[in-house]
Amino acid sequence: MIPVGHYIILSSVIFVLGGLGFLVRRNVLVALMSIDVMLNAVNLALVAFNRAHLRAGRLQAYPGQSHTGQIFAFFVIAVEAAEVAVGLAIVLSLFRLTRTVRSDEAHLLRN
Amino acid sequence: MMLFPTDDYSLIAIILGMPLLGAFINGVWGKRLGDTAVRVMALSAVGVSFGASVVAFASLLQFASQEHGAHVRLIWNAWEWMHTTGGTGNVVPVAVRFSIDALSGVMMLVVTGVGFLIHLYATSYMAGDKGFARFFAYLNLFIFSMLVLILADNLPLLFVGWEGVGLCSYLLIGFWYETLANAAAGKKAFIANRIGDFGLLVAMFLLVRFTGSLDWNGLENGASSLVSLSGQGRVDVWPPGGGEYTGVFHWLQPSVPLTILPATAVGLALLLGCTGKSAQIPLYVWLPDAMAGPTPVSALIHAATMVTAGIYLVCRLAFVFVLSPFTMMCIAIIGAATALLAATIAVVQNDIKKVLAYSTISQLGFMFLGVGSGSFEAGFFHVFTHAFFKACLFLGAGSVIHAMHARIHDADKTQDLRYLGGLRKWLPHTHWTFLAATLAIIGFPLTSGFFSKEEILYRELINHSVSPMRSRYPKYHFFEPPQALGTVLFWTAVIAACLTAFYMCRLYFLTFWGDFKGWTVGRPSLLAKQELEASPHDAHDTGDGDDHHPADDLSMPGYAPHESPWQMTIPLMILAVFAVAAGLLNHLGGDKRPMDHWLEPVFKTARQGAVVIAEGHTEAWAQGEESFVTTFGVLAFAVGTGLAWWMYIAKKGAPAKSLSTAMPGLYRLVLDKWRIDELYDATILAGVDSVAETSAAVDKYVVDGLLARFTSLVVAASGSILRTLQTGVVHVYGATMVVGLVAMGWFFATPHPDATVADAGNDDYVITAAPGVGYKYRWDADGDGAPDKPEFGPDTTLKLHVEAGKTTTVNLEVRNAFGFVKSRAIQVAHSRTSTSSL
Repeated sequence: MIPVGHYIILSSVIFVLGGLGFLVRRNVLVALMSIDVMLNAVNLALVAFNRAHLRAGRLQAYPGQSHTGQIFAFFVIAVEAAEVAVGLAIVLSLFRLTRTVRSDEAHLLRN
Repeated sequence: MMLFPTDDYSLIAIILGMPLLGAFINGVWGKRLGDTAVRVMALSAVGVSFGASVVAFASLLQFASQEHGAHVRLIWNAWEWMHTTGGTGNVVPVAVRFSIDALSGVMMLVVTGVGFLIHLYATSYMAGDKGFARFFAYLNLFIFSMLVLILADNLPLLFVGWEGVGLCSYLLIGFWYETLANAAAGKKAFIANRIGDFGLLVAMFLLVRFTGSLDWNGLENGASSLVSLSGQGRVDVWPPGGGEYTGVFHWLQPSVPLTILPATAVGLALLLGCTGKSAQIPLYVWLPDAMAGPTPVSALIHAATMVTAGIYLVCRLAFVFVLSPFTMMCIAIIGAATALLAATIAVVQNDIKKVLAYSTISQLGFMFLGVGSGSFEAGFFHVFTHAFFKACLFLGAGSVIHAMHARIHDADKTQDLRYLGGLRKWLPHTHWTFLAATLAIIGFPLTSGFFSKEEILYRELINHSVSPMRSRYPKYHFFEPPQALGTVLFWTAVIAACLTAFYMCRLYFLTFWGDFKGWTVGRPSLLAKQELEASPHDAHDTGDGDDHHPADDLSMPGYAPHESPWQMTIPLMILAVFAVAAGLLNHLGGDKRPMDHWLEPVFKTARQGAVVIAEGHTEAWAQGEESFVTTFGVLAFAVGTGLAWWMYIAKKGAPAKSLSTAMPGLYRLVLDKWRIDELYDATILAGVDSVAETSAAVDKYVVDGLLARFTSLVVAASGSILRTLQTGVVHVYGATMVVGLVAMGWFFATPHPDATVADAGNDDYVITAAPGVGYKYRWDADGDGAPDKPEFGPDTTLKLHVEAGKTTTVNLEVRNAFGFVKSRAIQVAHSRTSTSSL
């Protein structure tokens, strides 16, 4: 059995990678993907915590056992899908407007 | 079972309600109803009101004869309006409550009766005007407001009517509001009246404060508390409000603070209100300008009814005024001065309506003189007779204007004496009614004006106002007018009466005698022929001359001025009859004075000990003076009339011309009304204007310039600083978010050992640690450096005992969910002073 700490470390690494990608990369599409990576890191943490919780609960078989973490992960996936749809639409209109998908060239709202 | 008992006389609802209904219907649906319906509505409203007034007056007569000299009131209580608290802490109810007594009954008859005649007159005079319905709506509303003023049973309700007539006056003066001057005249009247209204309001407050009552009965009973000799019961004049000037302003502090009797304060405040409404010095300036309104308005509002409201109020509150001989003296002096000043101005004016306006002011001055001399019956009797002859004069002037309007359309020229003359041939009815009213106003023996004016002159000469409280406080010195005052005012009034006779005869002669100067009057047969040849479709309509003709050349011969239709002449005749005969109501031969007798109960309280025969004289002397006064009254009439006859008929105006050329400066000064308006412009108005301009400059440069600009500068500067943060680069926003997240994470990751100390009494203190996610606590209360319990626990509070004057240090350790621990030392000090009090 892999301890929960390992999952958390992996999740943190993925999250930081996603965050760095979001901050560093100038391509809007990549930024969007980085956000998804971060969300998936969170999903992993959610699922892992829930799993660890269940393991602890199985020993005593108390009635409060739940799968909230897993279900929450599904919600996050659904939100992610919506986010991607809206995000891609924004990227598309940005491209139509400026003929580029580089985020530092989209500064119409500056000052 | 009576239909209308005295304490629930609901017929008043009809008297008041009909004009209001007429005003409402004509005001709302007037334009759609058409002129005939408007006419019927307006006339029937006032007609029914007059009929009901006659019924009410008849029943008042009946009740009065049953009661034998008691003060009978027919009361109708509509509803409770509000209540306030008096100066003694009592509840002062203010009810919508109307009452008819001897005084208001006579006023009511005059207002509805003369009002009806003038309505009838106006249906013809205003025919064809595009504001016909609006005019009658206003006129009906005026009648309603005036009736509220007269029939009100308390001061606040009277004030409603008082403001109502002011509003109607404003609306009707500016009735032809397209002309700027008319609108300005309306505004001037309104503002001058507002100054007076301020006085009336102040008087009301003082009366509530000192008598704790606002209705006539309560005021009459509580009036004596207006004369209080203790320092507390007086009104502070200087320093205002009974304060004290110290320091830099010490020089403003008098050695003895100036205080006056409440009676004097109330009297003077009321007097200010009355001078505004009744056009007396110093607020008379609005009345001459008010002639900008249609002539029936001048007749009804600015001659017969509204302007007498001031005298009515003095009569109504006579029992208050007599308590202050100083106020009575002021009223008399103001009256006499106004009578003389206005009469001098009227002598040289060339506008018929202006002459009549100044004549009205002068006659109102006579009325003030009457009531100011303590002879309220005489003053009110002059109100009564003046209503008839002045209404008749104004309506006659309107008839003349109507006739001139056939060919002259300039509003100023139609009423200019220099264009008139010889009209007695063509306007016979107008002529003899005008003559009758003129005879009445100049005091031709046995006309109404003769009797009422003689009465005022006589009373002024023999009466002397003293405080009725003199017998109650024999040791106190009350103000007393100088003995010579009566004589001085008498001679002033005689001169004013003489001038009245002169200018009224001048007006009459210049209008109805001599040659007609408006246009050349051609022979009718010749004129008809000429017109047929020139343009048959544009022929004169000789029926009434109301049609308007563009650019009429006045040098061309035209039809003679025409007499007015019956709707205009009938009111003139009725009013003329009353103008001549109304005086007999008070002089049915011998000593019988029905009017004085009728009004006696109203002034009973005021009479008691307040007005005496001038000192050092007897009753017999007073009776002997009557023939002396009559002699001079008739002499004043004879001199004035004779002078006018000599000047304008015998010499055809030549002496007047030579006089005006001999003294051009004086002539111009009087023609410009002594330049009082200019004086007001230069002093009061200029002062107000300069304050306004200063305020405008402060607003522009300090408020707008300094304050507003500084504020906007701060906002703009901080905006431009904050704007640089708005880079528009998504990554910067992302980085900012990350920084924020990290900061928040740091905050939650570290434990925060905060605590509050509360005093629980008995030297006990409770320390409460702040809550947090997954926090566990460990306390060290004994100060030995080691925790009390080895384990962290959930106890958030710690109870502690600290002796007075001691200080204890408690250590708090907090561990959060991540296992981080932080500690803090909390000092609990018990100071000695806090416990010593209990």
